[in-house]
Amino acid sequence: MVLDLPSNRDESWRWSDLSALAGIAAREPAGAAPERLPWIDCALEGPRLLFVDGALVAERSRLGPVGIGDVSLDAEDHALGRLAGRRGWTLKLGSGHAPSGLIQIVHATTGAADHLAARIELDVDAQASVVETFIGDGWANRLTGITLFRGARLMLARRIVTASGFVSLLDRAMIGEGASLVSTTLAAGGADSRLDGRLILAGEGAYAEAGGALLARGRQRHDANLVVRHEQPSGTSRQVWRSVADDRAICSVAARVEVARGAQKTDGEQSLKGLLLSRTAQVNAKPELEIFADDVKCAHGATVGELDRDALFYMASRGVPRAWAQALLTRAFVADSVDRIGEEAVREAFGSDAEHWMAAKEPFVPSEVEGRL
Amino acid sequence: MLKIENLHATVAGKAILKGLSLEVNAGEIHAIMGPNGAGKSTLGYVLGGREGYEVTGGSVAFDGKDLLDMAADERAAAGLFLGFQYPVEIPGVSNVQFLRTALNAQRRARGEAEMSAGDFLRLARAQGDSLGVSMDMMKRNVNVGFSGGEKKRNEMVQMGIIAPRLAVLDETDSGLDIDALRVVAEGINRIMRAPDKAVLLITHYQRLLDLVVPDFVHVLADGRIVRSGGPELAHELEREGYVGVAA
Repeated sequence: MVLDLPSNRDESWRWSDLSALAGIAAREPAGAAPERLPWIDCALEGPRLLFVDGALVAERSRLGPVGIGDVSLDAEDHALGRLAGRRGWTLKLGSGHAPSGLIQIVHATTGAADHLAARIELDVDAQASVVETFIGDGWANRLTGITLFRGARLMLARRIVTASGFVSLLDRAMIGEGASLVSTTLAAGGADSRLDGRLILAGEGAYAEAGGALLARGRQRHDANLVVRHEQPSGTSRQVWRSVADDRAICSVAARVEVARGAQKTDGEQSLKGLLLSRTAQVNAKPELEIFADDVKCAHGATVGELDRDALFYMASRGVPRAWAQALLTRAFVADSVDRIGEEAVREAFGSDAEHWMAAKEPFVPSEVEGRL
Repeated sequence: MLKIENLHATVAGKAILKGLSLEVNAGEIHAIMGPNGAGKSTLGYVLGGREGYEVTGGSVAFDGKDLLDMAADERAAAGLFLGFQYPVEIPGVSNVQFLRTALNAQRRARGEAEMSAGDFLRLARAQGDSLGVSMDMMKRNVNVGFSGGEKKRNEMVQMGIIAPRLAVLDETDSGLDIDALRVVAEGINRIMRAPDKAVLLITHYQRLLDLVVPDFVHVLADGRIVRSGGPELAHELEREGYVGVAA
C-alpha cells in the first residue's frame, strides 16, 4: 500500500511524526490477541466487542445493540480518515433508548496496521456510554462518526495503552439541540498518537466536552488537533487537556473554538496545561479562538511548567522519596482531565492506567502512592 | 543527638551561615532567636536538605551520622522533622494520602513493616482530634484553602503522625492567634517532650517560649551563635531587643 501522508509543512500536522507508519503498514500481523483483555469491571455488564487487527472476534464478543457492517462516512478530506475505510461497527439507538451498562470495545493490534470505521447515531433522548481500549503493537487507525439528535447523550472514553507503534483517531460529531457529548482520551502506553476531532454543536443548547491526558516519555509523541464549532446559540464546550512529557518526548495540543455568527450565549472554555518532567522534553499548546458572534463567553488558558519545587521539598522533608513525590504530583496534575469521567468504574480504570504509566519508570512506587484512601 | 560544628552555608552565592556551632542532646528543647536576616530559616533549610542551600564548610552530625550526606527524604527517615514557616499547598493530593505515603516511605526506609490503611486512619484521627483538625480537613488537599493557623496545626498533626526524634520548627508561632498558639504549643510539648526526643525551636518572638519552655536559648546574629543561656535569656531579649544582647 502506498501511503499518502501529510508533511510537517502542513500547519495542522506540524507537530506530527508519521514517518514510522509506512514501515508498520508493510508488516504482517501476528494475529493472536492476548488471553487477558482489559475489560473494565462494572456493576452493569454491557456489550463487549473485541477487534483483533480491525476484525471482530465474534466468539469473544457480545454485540448487544452494536452492529457490524458498512459504515457510511465521508472523511476524504483527512489524510488518515480516508484510510479508515467503510467497514466497522455501528451503534444506532432509537428515540429514548438507553441500553444498560457500558459498551466496551477492545482493539488489539498485533504488529501491523489496521483500519476501522464506526458510526454512532443516537436518536432523540437516547443515551450510551462507550469505552474503547487500544492495546498491542502496531498502528490502529480509527474513524468515528457521531450524530446526536435532540437531547441525546454520549459518553465516549478512549484509553490508549498500546505498547508500541501508533494510534490515530479521527472523530466527526454533530451534536443536536440540548444533546451532550463528553469525550475523554488517555494516552498512557508506549505508542505515539494522533488525535483529530471536529465537533459541531449544531443545535441550540448543545454541550461538548473533549479532553484528556497525554503522557509521553522516551522519544514518544502525542499530537492532538481539535476543533469545536458552535453553530447555534447557547452551546457550551469544554476542552481540558493535560500533557506530561519526560525524557525527549513531545506532547502537542492544538485546540480551536469556532463561534459562528448568530451563536450567541456561547460558553466555551479551553484549558491546556503541560508538565515537563525533564529539560529535554517538549510540550506544545496552541489554543485558538475564532469568534463571529458578540455575546459569548470564551475562556482559554495555556501553561507549561515543571513540578513545583517547593512541593517536592515539602514532600521530601516528610520522608517521601523524590520518585514517589513526582508520581503523586503528576497524578494530581492529570486528575483535572481524567476525573471528569462520570462513570466511576471507568474513571478508576483511567486513573489506574495513568498511575501504571508513572510507576513504569519507578517500579518500586508502592500502592498507597497510586491508590486513594 | 545533633551536633553542628562551624557550619558555613550560602544561598545564591551569598554567605548566610558563618561558623555556626550548636549541640542538642536528647531530652532537650533549644530555642534559636535572632533578628530578621540572621540566618534562622537558612539553618532550618540547611538541616532539612533543601536544594539551593549550599554548605561550604563545617559539619552536622545526627546521631553520629553525617546529616549533610543524606538526601532530604533520608533525613526524615532518620528521624528529623522540619516544621515549615510557610507550609506548602499541594493541589490534588489529599492530606491522608500524603501522610500515609510519607509515613510508610519512612518505615520502609528503616526496614519496618508498613502501616495498614485502617491503623493509619485511626492514628490520623487521634492526632487530628488533639489538635482540632477534623477528619474532613485531613481528607482535603494538603494545605489548600487552609488558614495560616490551620496550616500550622496541620504541621503539628504531621509531626504527631510521623513521631520524629528531632523536630526543627521554623517560626511555628508566626501567624497564630493566642488560642491557636496554645494548641500548637500543647502539641509540641505532648509530641516532643520526651527523654529520647529533642526540639530546635526557631523563633523571632518570646511568646511561644512561655508555652514551650526551652532548656537553652541561643541568639543567632549574622550567621553565628553569639550568646547562649537559659530561658531567662529570652526575657532579656524581649526587654532589651537584639541590638543590646547580640552586641
